[in-house]
Amino acid sequence: MERLIFDAAALVAIVFAGLMVAGRDPIKSVLALAVSFFALAVTYVLLLAPFIAALQIIVYAGAILVLFLFLIMLLNVGPERPDGVRRPVQTFLGSLSVVVFAGLLLGMLRASGARLPGQPEAVAADALPDPKALGRLLFSDYLLHFEAVSVLLLAALVGAFVLARRENAQ
Amino acid sequence: MTTPPLWLIPAIPLVGFALNGLLGTKLGKSFVSAVGVGAAGLTTVVAYARLIPFVGGNHQPVVEPVASWIALAGLSIDISFRLDPLSALMLSFVTFVAFLIHVYSIGYMHHEATNAGYARFFAYLNLFLFAMLTLVLAESFLLMFVGWEGVGLCSYLLIGYYFEADYAAAAGRKAFVVNRIGDFGFLLGMFGLFAAFGSLNYSEVFWKAAQDPARFAPALGAICLCLFVGAMGKSAQVPLYVWLPDAMAGPTPVSALIHAATMVTAGVYMVARCNVLFRLAPEVMVFVAAIGCFTALFAGIIAVAQNDLKKVLAYSTISQLGYMFLACGVGAFGVGMFHVMTHACFKACLFLGAGSVMHAMSGDLDVRHMGGLRGKLRITYATFLVATLAIAGIPPLAGFFSKDAILSAAFDAPGAGKVLWAVGLATAGLTAFYMFRVVSLTFFGRFRGTAEQAHHIHESPSSMTVPLIVLAFLSIGVGFVGLPPVFGARADLIGPFLAPIFAPIAGHEGAREALPHATEWLLMAVSVAVAASGLMLAWQWYVKQEGRPAERLAAAMPGVYALVAEKFRVDEDYDFLFVRPFNRLSHFLWKVVDVLIIDGILNASAFLVELSGDFLRFVQTGNVRNYALTFFLGLIALLLFVAGAM
Amino acid sequence: MIGPIPLSHVLLASGALFAIGVAGALLRRNAIQIFLSIELMMNAANLALIGYGAALGTQQGQIIVFFVIAIAAAEASVGLAIFVAIFRHTETIDVNKINLLKW
Repeated sequence: MERLIFDAAALVAIVFAGLMVAGRDPIKSVLALAVSFFALAVTYVLLLAPFIAALQIIVYAGAILVLFLFLIMLLNVGPERPDGVRRPVQTFLGSLSVVVFAGLLLGMLRASGARLPGQPEAVAADALPDPKALGRLLFSDYLLHFEAVSVLLLAALVGAFVLARRENAQ
Repeated sequence: MTTPPLWLIPAIPLVGFALNGLLGTKLGKSFVSAVGVGAAGLTTVVAYARLIPFVGGNHQPVVEPVASWIALAGLSIDISFRLDPLSALMLSFVTFVAFLIHVYSIGYMHHEATNAGYARFFAYLNLFLFAMLTLVLAESFLLMFVGWEGVGLCSYLLIGYYFEADYAAAAGRKAFVVNRIGDFGFLLGMFGLFAAFGSLNYSEVFWKAAQDPARFAPALGAICLCLFVGAMGKSAQVPLYVWLPDAMAGPTPVSALIHAATMVTAGVYMVARCNVLFRLAPEVMVFVAAIGCFTALFAGIIAVAQNDLKKVLAYSTISQLGYMFLACGVGAFGVGMFHVMTHACFKACLFLGAGSVMHAMSGDLDVRHMGGLRGKLRITYATFLVATLAIAGIPPLAGFFSKDAILSAAFDAPGAGKVLWAVGLATAGLTAFYMFRVVSLTFFGRFRGTAEQAHHIHESPSSMTVPLIVLAFLSIGVGFVGLPPVFGARADLIGPFLAPIFAPIAGHEGAREALPHATEWLLMAVSVAVAASGLMLAWQWYVKQEGRPAERLAAAMPGVYALVAEKFRVDEDYDFLFVRPFNRLSHFLWKVVDVLIIDGILNASAFLVELSGDFLRFVQTGNVRNYALTFFLGLIALLLFVAGAM
Repeated sequence: MIGPIPLSHVLLASGALFAIGVAGALLRRNAIQIFLSIELMMNAANLALIGYGAALGTQQGQIIVFFVIAIAAAEASVGLAIFVAIFRHTETIDVNKINLLKW
């Protein structure tokens, strides 16, 4: 049952990701990606990471993607129109490299047989998904990283403000 | 009373140099004169404060270390000064003559237009004095070399004192380059000494050499030859003499101090200082004597046909230096040093007299324009005449005793001693002739210059005449410290004084039998006769017959006369043999090796970089997607590498 | 195995998402879609991290994902600010037309 749900959610994520890439209208792309992210959140729950799933929905889908939407509407970006310029080299090499890359990933996956270093025990279902444990870990072992990221976010905030400011808006 | 330390003697002129060099331009001529002359005077006083007790005492060498200079494993050299009879002798006349010449310079350089030039002159003179005293007082070869190079530098600076004039700058450069050749020899000699003895201190080297002559004798031949090459450069011996005549481009006090009295005798001093080594290398001694003898005659011949007063004196100096080396070469180092001392007095007097004449003649030095100056320049004439008689070897003036001692030492020498004596005697006659020739042309006869020069002629100020008078008296009297043995066993003062320096080496040939008195008298009579006939001949030709016989002689042998007048064309030959090939080589290195090859490689690589940049810049499309694609291709390559490793 | 879900499925899904992201980043001209593709690639990586973390029974995968999300937020804010600045000058977000930085 869980396996079925996982496969379905993954499929939804992949399909909507494809739609995101293929579409010409940026708004539709953002919405497609939002669906893809929701589906990914489902897989996270199934992979015993409910806290990350919540973050995925709140931060990614809820904040970042909404930011994109705001931007698109702010800049009034319409659907992409063909500009009549052909770029055969970029298109050919780009497609080729994607195919090669996908093949390579598949090949490596098959060659490794999804082996893991060591054979872990099956984990008790209630041990992992505890956000409390995660929080404890974050604020103890990873406190420095956590603080560094907070500084990074502050820097990004300031940077974004400076970049987007009108130059004569002193 | 405590005696002043030895280091003070060179230090005082160094301070004078620093003061005049740094502040002289701002402080004016009177300050510069006071500092310059004061430094020379003070150092003379200090030197004599050391000399008088030393000479009065037991003549034991004193070594005073000042500081450690180089301290390495296996090499330890101190800055230390040495007072022994040899350096005492040098010190006595170097300081005193230098002081007199400093005084003279006040009058001579009075017309110098700028304070800067005046200060520069006195600063260099003080620096020279510092270097010369360092050279004389040094206790190690290395410190001597410092002084050696220092006097060379000052010589260069002072020859090129009128550096705005091309000829002065060229003369300075020539002196420097020719001296470099000699210094190269000196350096090689020092390396050899260090390799053989493991030390550069006099006392250690000479002691070891004297202790074990058999062990060191084989190496000493090459070492002494190298050292003598250094002496040849500094003391202007054939073939390295060519710089000294050109060095007359400097101010006359410089010629007197550096290029007659002190610096050029440094080579003789060095050979005398190393007498222990030279005596262990008899073949080099023969070479020294031969070079000295040949130089004496060669320069004497050239001097006969020169018309520039200072050039005559310059060639005369070279000739007299040849005498000194002749003395050293036959083993009579003490006699050589004696001649160094007497020569310093009368040659300085002659040069200063020439400067005084030049002063009166508005800078003209051509004896053909002079004549009859005896009436106007009484003091100059009198002193010049005394010094001329001294250099000509007329008894009882100083030159007679020293030159006679050299000649009898040569006569006494084994082997080719008689030949050396004969050549020396001929040179003595030549010396008397050419010196009296210039005296006749300058001071006798009628004046041959322009009316304007005639109007201008005047005796020099007292700052110039007083040193002349003092030096003239020295030229008369200084010879009496070295009376020949025929005047009694205790007549010779200087010989026994210097004897400890030239002490015989154990198991080596000692002092020779003195000549019988009869022979001694005979030799003296012969040399006096030769000198007197030289004088008389010059008097007859140039005063009585106003130079007509000489003109007839020159006209009879135009080729020979031209050759001598053109100084045997040695400069031209050197130019052809060394200078021009070297210039061509330099030109080749410049145009081909440097411009074509080295610059070519450089320019070609720069051109290649530019060319490849011209093509590679098209990779920079400015399109982000191209960059992303490139980045991703790189990622794939990396993955392929990892996959290949799996 | 994570419970009943095989790790290979997780990795397959992750790889597929990543490849789609790459294709979008390389082939689209619209800067916003390129940016979205980059976000998608990050999510693909997140999926793999969580999958491995679960399979290994450790929370470190989740910790990394936590930081990735935070950095993605920072990146998005700065990136979008850059878009705003560029758009103000050029009136376009077609990356083919933003190519001033060339030879």
